[in-house]
Amino acid sequence: MLKWGGRVKKLFMLAFANIRKTKGHTVSLFIMFFIAALLLNAGLLITFNFGSYFDNIVKDLNTSDIYYVMPDHYYNDEVEDYLDHNDNIIEMQKVDPMWVNAEVVFNDNMWKRVFLLNDADKAKTRTMTKWKFVGEHLPVEDMSIYLPYIFQLSGGYELNDKFEMILHDSKLEFTIKGFTEDVFFSSPETGFMGVYLPYETYEKVAVQLGEQHQAALVFANLNTMNKDIEKDIRDMLKLESTPTTTDITSTFFSLDRPLVEMARTMMAVIVSIMIVAFAAIIVVVCLIVVRFRIVNSIEEDMTKIGSLKAIGYTSRQIILSIVLQFTLIALFGSIIGIAMSYSTTPMLSDIFAQQSGLKWVQGFDGTISGIALVIILLIVGLVAFISSRRIKKLSPIVALRGGIVTHSFRKNHMPLNTAKGSLPFVLAVKSIIQNKKQSIMIAIIMIAVSFAQTFAVGMFYNTTVDTTTFLETPGIELSNAVAVFKPEADRETIMEELKIMEEVRKVQYIDEVFVNVDGNEISVYVMEDYSNKETDTVYEGRYPIHDNEIVLAGHLAEIIGKKVGDNVIVSMGETKEEFIVTGLSQGAYMSGMNSSVTYEGIMKLTPGFQQSTLNIYLDKGRDAGVFVEKLKHLYGESFLLTLDMDQNMEQGAGMYISIVSKVGITILVVTIAVVILVLYFVINSSVVRKKRELGIQKAVGFTTFQLMNQLSLGFLPPVIVGVCIGSVIGVTQTNALMSIAQRGMGIMKSNFIITPMAITLFGAGIIILAYVCSMLITYRVRKISAYALVTE
Amino acid sequence: MSNVILSTNKLCKTFSNGGMQQHVLKNLDIEIYEGDFTVIMGSSGAGKSTLLYALSGMDKPTLGSVRFFDEEIAKQSNDMLAVFRRKNCGFVFQQMFLLDNMSILDNILASGLLVSKDRKSITARAKDLLTQVGLTEVIWRKFPSQLSGGEVQRAAIVRALINQPKVVFADEPTGSLNSAAGKAVLDVLTEANNNGQSMIMVTHDLKSARRGNRILYMRDGVIHGVCDLGKYVSGDKERHDKLQAFLAEMGW
Repeated sequence: MLKWGGRVKKLFMLAFANIRKTKGHTVSLFIMFFIAALLLNAGLLITFNFGSYFDNIVKDLNTSDIYYVMPDHYYNDEVEDYLDHNDNIIEMQKVDPMWVNAEVVFNDNMWKRVFLLNDADKAKTRTMTKWKFVGEHLPVEDMSIYLPYIFQLSGGYELNDKFEMILHDSKLEFTIKGFTEDVFFSSPETGFMGVYLPYETYEKVAVQLGEQHQAALVFANLNTMNKDIEKDIRDMLKLESTPTTTDITSTFFSLDRPLVEMARTMMAVIVSIMIVAFAAIIVVVCLIVVRFRIVNSIEEDMTKIGSLKAIGYTSRQIILSIVLQFTLIALFGSIIGIAMSYSTTPMLSDIFAQQSGLKWVQGFDGTISGIALVIILLIVGLVAFISSRRIKKLSPIVALRGGIVTHSFRKNHMPLNTAKGSLPFVLAVKSIIQNKKQSIMIAIIMIAVSFAQTFAVGMFYNTTVDTTTFLETPGIELSNAVAVFKPEADRETIMEELKIMEEVRKVQYIDEVFVNVDGNEISVYVMEDYSNKETDTVYEGRYPIHDNEIVLAGHLAEIIGKKVGDNVIVSMGETKEEFIVTGLSQGAYMSGMNSSVTYEGIMKLTPGFQQSTLNIYLDKGRDAGVFVEKLKHLYGESFLLTLDMDQNMEQGAGMYISIVSKVGITILVVTIAVVILVLYFVINSSVVRKKRELGIQKAVGFTTFQLMNQLSLGFLPPVIVGVCIGSVIGVTQTNALMSIAQRGMGIMKSNFIITPMAITLFGAGIIILAYVCSMLITYRVRKISAYALVTE
Repeated sequence: MSNVILSTNKLCKTFSNGGMQQHVLKNLDIEIYEGDFTVIMGSSGAGKSTLLYALSGMDKPTLGSVRFFDEEIAKQSNDMLAVFRRKNCGFVFQQMFLLDNMSILDNILASGLLVSKDRKSITARAKDLLTQVGLTEVIWRKFPSQLSGGEVQRAAIVRALINQPKVVFADEPTGSLNSAAGKAVLDVLTEANNNGQSMIMVTHDLKSARRGNRILYMRDGVIHGVCDLGKYVSGDKERHDKLQAFLAEMGW
């Protein structure tokens, strides 16, 4: 039993003496543990707390399981009676907001969204799906508005700023008096944006807009989460075919809370997986470095160990002092890293808020931070213990003689009389062969960091350089403009006129309606000829050709247990038809709950179906915004809606691009830092270990530069091998990894563009960086003098 | 009279030890001649090794000059001195200082290939020299730790000679060897000197000193006396007596 004040004090003395002796190594290890703990704690905080933070908000605001929204006139006695007496509804509350399709300025761009305009004063009295302010709010004045927090975070708005909503025939002007948070209507990911107007403002706007903008919004808690109520209401209202991309304010819509939760927290989940995985890589690198340092320090301090043993220290005490030394470094590095990770959570919160709309406030979480700290300390302690066990086998006399048993050169690799190449090169290769373990260690570390780097470069490339694949992530057709015909429009004539417009490359119908597949209410794309589709989302099988064929989203297929070749029953209202699954598609749209059939296929379900949504493809370089204006000018009366899809995609993808590119850049920066730290560590150790050898070489006439070059070249091959293997793994496995990470989003087979050229360039960059760092670190060789060799 | 190969002018070397200045070499003016086997003797702390390393460019003097023929080396940069050493100097240390991780032959070639790019001829010369010092082919491929001290020191002498240096500096080359091994090493050095190789050797061993033709005796950082003995001839009693008398005079 070790007693404090006695033997334990001695252990601390020995440990601190070692720390003092190797300040440079201590600092670099400290930084690595700092980075590992920072990432690990941040990753764990997001993993465990971001979701639960959302759950807490759900609970605090008593958010309902589902909401149903429809134009007020749809909410007739039949619907009311149905809802009032539905056994599946535990409780419900109806409110009466207004809803408008409006364009607003968001981060200097025009943003089109459906806004629910709530009476803030009435909404305060809601018992279900409440809302709250984020930060301070100001006293109201004429035409005041409270906006979702995302408008402050990403939209460029502050309190007292003016806020304009441009409707198709009018304009609403407000002054912002507060920012809000609720579960259903605060994120651009979940359909509607909910704004809150003080009573007087609400009344004024209601008069200005008129009754056609009145909506009925029903919040409900259900016994069983299913789509039965939605289906029944649709049936009641005879809404067989509901074009959701057209004027949503004239239709029926419902959204359940689990879907909202997934949509609002998905990116945080993905990012947390990436951060934890990357933290694990850094921890492993730290452990490898700890082991390397201990093995080296035993060699370097062999005589010191001998002296300690000779004066009566036991092997156990010496081993424990080494374990203590590294555990202390890990402890201090980790504590500061963990503390610093809390300063990153507001930044992470801001990043996630772009998708979640949530202002995530993370206080100190002792449990998670404790777990992160204990994980790191335990494995460091264990690795240190295992690495220093060989001290037990050293007899004092052998250690005092400098550990003659430790060197046993068996073979003279690359004899200088026959080896080809310059002297520094051959000596470098000899050094690599003689230090196999060190070379393998460097190679393994380089494999890990190169893989992370390739992954980061891949993400960065796909989000900033070539965003094609990234923009295909939602799985929707990438056209430049969308126009939706009014029922009375002369479709054929306009279609023909559009086709011959000089800037138009192609025009085709792609509609979207709701159907029921095996009890799941899903959206279905309708197209005459899928060979004309430009965004290929089918990753297995093929698009439908015949009227009895259907493509299911992979995520949906997994849920209902179908695969290519299986049959599914598709129903719309009372009509049911059997379809054969010809392919599986992917896409984050509707969280992977979608499908595709041919025009003939949908006609079997709803014979009166009329295609109305035009996807318009422009020649390269044409401005979709200008074209949409032209369309409005020429055919404004014939279209229910016209959309600049280029702008829409840019805005929609913008937040993902922002998040993913930030994560990519962070991984890149950390990777480079780790490469530098590891090289510093290894090379510095190596120079200390080879001091005698280098002194001899200097004595016989090697210059400092020759020795720097020789040492640096010696580190390059494992670096090159590691970078090559890591990059190859990265190139081949990044998409597999992304597929796993994005599966929940409906991306079953990630197709990120991994450009060998970019990876090669970055790999070459790492190699050059490694060489330059090696040269800079080995510059300390200049301090080794030949004279010191004979005088020491 | 032979050429002056090395000369010093007011050579000083001062060490700072705990704030105390320790003057190890004091205004030394000496000349070393080409082809000589110069032996530097003196008591411990007299400055023998300090002088040897100042002359060889291994260490820089605090003041004064060191000239190698007409070239001033005292003020050269470390890298210039490294190039100077590889081209002009050979070293034999008491601790041998061969590279543990290389075979005997590689140790020699690592030095030789610094100066000559002709791998074949330098290898041939190395093998020739190794044979001359009595190290057989079996030994060439062994590592220093697998050989006796005497064998390692003979290999170190070959390394010192491989680049045909102008001068070989030996610092107590027999200091860690038994008498038989020491004699063998001295025989090799003597043989090299007989072949025209200039030698400067620091020693406090009388048997070693006898091999020199010119003895410099140092005390307190200055040359206290010089004795010209003439070429070494084994068993020359008169020469031996002269050296003993000189050393006695010096208070050795």
